[in-house]
Amino acid sequence: MRAVRATVDRLDRPSAYFNNARHKRRRFDKDQRDGDDDTAGMHPENREDDDPLKNATTLYVGNLSFFTTEEQVYELFSKCGEIKRLVMGLDRFNKTPCGFCFVEYYTHQDALDCMKYIGGTKLDERIIRTDLDPGFEEGRQYGRGKSGGQVRDEYREDYDEGRGGLGRAIAREREGKDFVDDGRLR
Amino acid sequence: MADYDRRGGGGGGRGGGGGGYNRKRRYRDDNEDDNHYRGNNSRRRYDAPPHVRLRKQLIAIAENPMIERHDEISQIANLFTDNWDDDVLLRGNFTDLVLQLCVEQPLKTPFLAGVLMVVNTNKPEAMDLLLEKAARLIEDKLREGGWRDVKLYLKLVGCLQGVLEGEGVFGVLGELFERAVGLQTASSEDTIGTEIVKIILLTLPYVMAAGSPEQVQQEWQQKAADLLENTAIIASEPHPLQAVIEPYHPEAGEENPAQSQSLISLLQAQLQAEAAQGWALSCLPRPWQFPVGEVETVAKLASAKKHVLPNIVIPKTVVRGPRPLFPEVYISVYGQQEVESVPPPTSLASSLIRDALLDTINVLHFNRNATARQLIEVDCYFAPRTFALRGTPFDRLRDIEKSKSTWKPEDVAVDAVFTQLFLLPNPEHKLVYYHSVLTEACKLAPAAIAPSLGRAIRYLYRNAPRMDLELAYRFMDWFSHHLSNFGFTWKWTEWVDDVELSGLHPRKAFIVGSIDKEIRLSFAQRIKNTLPEPYQKLIGPEKEKDVPDFKFANDDTPFAAEGREIAALLKRKAPDEEIDAVIQRIQSQAIDRDLDALVASTDVFVTCVLYVGSKSLSHVLAAIERTKDRLADAGAASDASRTQIIEAVMTYWSVHPGVALSIVEKLLNYSILTPLTVINWALNVQAGKTRGEALAWAHMYELVFNTVIKVTGRVRQLVVKASQPDEMVDDETRDNEVRNMRELFRAIEDSLGAWAGGTKDEMLESNARGEEDGLVRRWGTRWLRVFKRRQAIEEAFLVEAVRERERREEVRKEWEVVERQRREERERKEAEEKERNGANGAEEKKKENGVEGEVNIIE
Repeated sequence: MRAVRATVDRLDRPSAYFNNARHKRRRFDKDQRDGDDDTAGMHPENREDDDPLKNATTLYVGNLSFFTTEEQVYELFSKCGEIKRLVMGLDRFNKTPCGFCFVEYYTHQDALDCMKYIGGTKLDERIIRTDLDPGFEEGRQYGRGKSGGQVRDEYREDYDEGRGGLGRAIAREREGKDFVDDGRLR
Repeated sequence: MADYDRRGGGGGGRGGGGGGYNRKRRYRDDNEDDNHYRGNNSRRRYDAPPHVRLRKQLIAIAENPMIERHDEISQIANLFTDNWDDDVLLRGNFTDLVLQLCVEQPLKTPFLAGVLMVVNTNKPEAMDLLLEKAARLIEDKLREGGWRDVKLYLKLVGCLQGVLEGEGVFGVLGELFERAVGLQTASSEDTIGTEIVKIILLTLPYVMAAGSPEQVQQEWQQKAADLLENTAIIASEPHPLQAVIEPYHPEAGEENPAQSQSLISLLQAQLQAEAAQGWALSCLPRPWQFPVGEVETVAKLASAKKHVLPNIVIPKTVVRGPRPLFPEVYISVYGQQEVESVPPPTSLASSLIRDALLDTINVLHFNRNATARQLIEVDCYFAPRTFALRGTPFDRLRDIEKSKSTWKPEDVAVDAVFTQLFLLPNPEHKLVYYHSVLTEACKLAPAAIAPSLGRAIRYLYRNAPRMDLELAYRFMDWFSHHLSNFGFTWKWTEWVDDVELSGLHPRKAFIVGSIDKEIRLSFAQRIKNTLPEPYQKLIGPEKEKDVPDFKFANDDTPFAAEGREIAALLKRKAPDEEIDAVIQRIQSQAIDRDLDALVASTDVFVTCVLYVGSKSLSHVLAAIERTKDRLADAGAASDASRTQIIEAVMTYWSVHPGVALSIVEKLLNYSILTPLTVINWALNVQAGKTRGEALAWAHMYELVFNTVIKVTGRVRQLVVKASQPDEMVDDETRDNEVRNMRELFRAIEDSLGAWAGGTKDEMLESNARGEEDGLVRRWGTRWLRVFKRRQAIEEAFLVEAVRERERREEVRKEWEVVERQRREERERKEAEEKERNGANGAEEKKKENGVEGEVNIIE
């Protein structure tokens, strides 16, 4: 039976980002792995029975400062239940924190509660984002951006002190420009 | 962030769905489909179908203070009745949505009732449909023990009493009371009966507000008086468990306000006072009473069709439901003020407003933004002029005229959240939910909410010493978490004098504990910058080090060379034999020095594991994982050796107890430590070494509390599993765990009893320290109370688990009979009808089925 839609939106649903990304990833996976995933191509929302988040105990946590430590994450996220595993997101090249992590709980309910009560609140004075996740796999702890960090930190136009200043691609571009600008100003 | 913001922002319940569109669409250029879409303006601005508009308007009812309530109600009612014939989706959906709203957004119930009353003047069959569904839902919830839903549905039906024939809701309330009496006479410890009486008492005012003055006077007043006379006995009887859930725990002999009043006895008294004043019920909205100017509607309402409330079968046996029930007491963080900023406990408004707010808070746990919004807008949902203007500063309340209300909506809302945060034994949801509601409320209306929170904090701080220790800890945990969401700003200067107090003073303990928790969520230097100078010394330089010193780096430490050697071996993941050799050496040296060899080697080894893993929790967990066999062996070797494991952890991380506690938790999971070791170390070893001062440390309480919760959580899990036939949990495992749990509680009680009574060895030793020993005894007493309560709750859980299962079974059997009777009845009627009407009947039946089909369509 389909659940009745609540009169108020629920905060413990996966984000639009997840649903879109999943859709894309599946097509990608299919190409890459020659279609060994037999559920590939199905629209995620139409398939409740094979919803990978049905019993999800893991959360993706985003918008952390690069300086936020595991201990801080533990302290906050333990308020929703005992943490089974914590995997910090790392820069692919430097192996330094790059502003995200995966938190795994023992129960699905704890993960849902975390979405409701912790997602969108502050940790280390930054509003953090949580998203239900089908589970950590080796390799996912690394940033997928060109320069090793997260993709969003490549082209970010604002200056974010907690996440290495400007977006890296933009910073590089500006460095080049500055050189030209300098010449003209003089 | 865009994703998040969009989702969070849509939470007010106003937008309905939203958020589902594809972001990419906006950027896609030259799409044929898009062009077509943009080019055809008329298609874009088409009106949504009636059932969609109706849903939207109904959900948002009463939210907008700029709309006249009666206009809104008439409009919604007309939208419904105008489309009754054309839009088949509408009929079933409307009634379903009303019933869903009254359990999901209970503040809106009276306004929904208003819509229903107006609908009834035009399409009375809609009211029949609704009452039938409501009656069935109430029956379902009664069988499940869904007491809150029973109450919320009854509230709606109560608001409709004006169009009910005969006794209406009074009949149901009367029968419910019969059940309560049965339960209460069977056992003085019964809580279900009390819950039922609470529901009766909270429904009654809505019933009384539903009638015209004549109706109330002539028909209902006597019924209400009879009911109240009956409930008085149950409501005034203090429950044996009340002493356990008392939020304050004053010192013996201390001048203190009398024991808190139970919610139910207050409610009884408030209702009796209200009855004496002819049921004025001035805080309740009456949206079904239209202004005399609207002659037509008023006349229609007066002559509207009346309905029979369908029979509601109340099972002979009632179940407790999914949550344990406890007596409740009245608390407020805004008591004893010069101006009343919340309704006083003598006023019925205090119970009615709070009850509606608490239901809202606990029901809307899935969207804290929506909860916070409804809390802030509480004045929309009660009678006009119930509250002072939103955002009136507390200082200005005294300027308000005598005849007008000084109740600050912000204070009333914040007070309600705090009652949940400070509810013993546990609130319905995780404590962090209530934290998050306060955070959101503060974000939505900082200028209005923040000062109210500030006054609450001051009240709680003043009263922290006499609060139950569990609640004092919750206060500290909330306080530090809240500050972490608002830049760690607090007017610490006002508590500056308390910095000089002894570490044993509860207020000093609160300060120290809060700062530690703040640092755990942030870092020492940051927190230091937020504190005035006198507090700076509470954060020593060692707090700012990322990694604690390795004691074996210093040659003066015994076994320094061996310590460094083991650390080096662990770092390069050397084979076990190499480590064995060093450990052998430590042990033989220890014997030479007349030390416990096992304790000495355990200390060195554990400290080295911690040092090697000091970079982060992942590092230490990996280090423990690699060495878990050796650690387990060390733990199993002797009690002293096992105690040394926790001693080493707590010592190495003494400056950052948060880290130590996480490590202990994992060691418990690996069974390297046992719960008993943790308790013994905390309450005997560490507390002994500090002559009881450790009892004042928040992290010590946290350590013991977490350990106990871990053990009791496991027992509960096993008990629940054992009751399910397909789960393979044998009785022996369960009984073993139960025995261990009892043993743990006994050990806790023994130690704490000695501290509380001043008979602990360390206290009996020479040079007694009068004042300090007094404080230690007080800490012992407060601790003892917390864990005695935990024990009582767990024992009750074990007993209740069995009883509840039996009750469920009885209810199930009983219901089978009812269902069979109903089926037979229906079949008999159908047969009769067929016989009577012949061919005509068949057609009518078809029509009926049509309606039923529509009901099942959702949205």
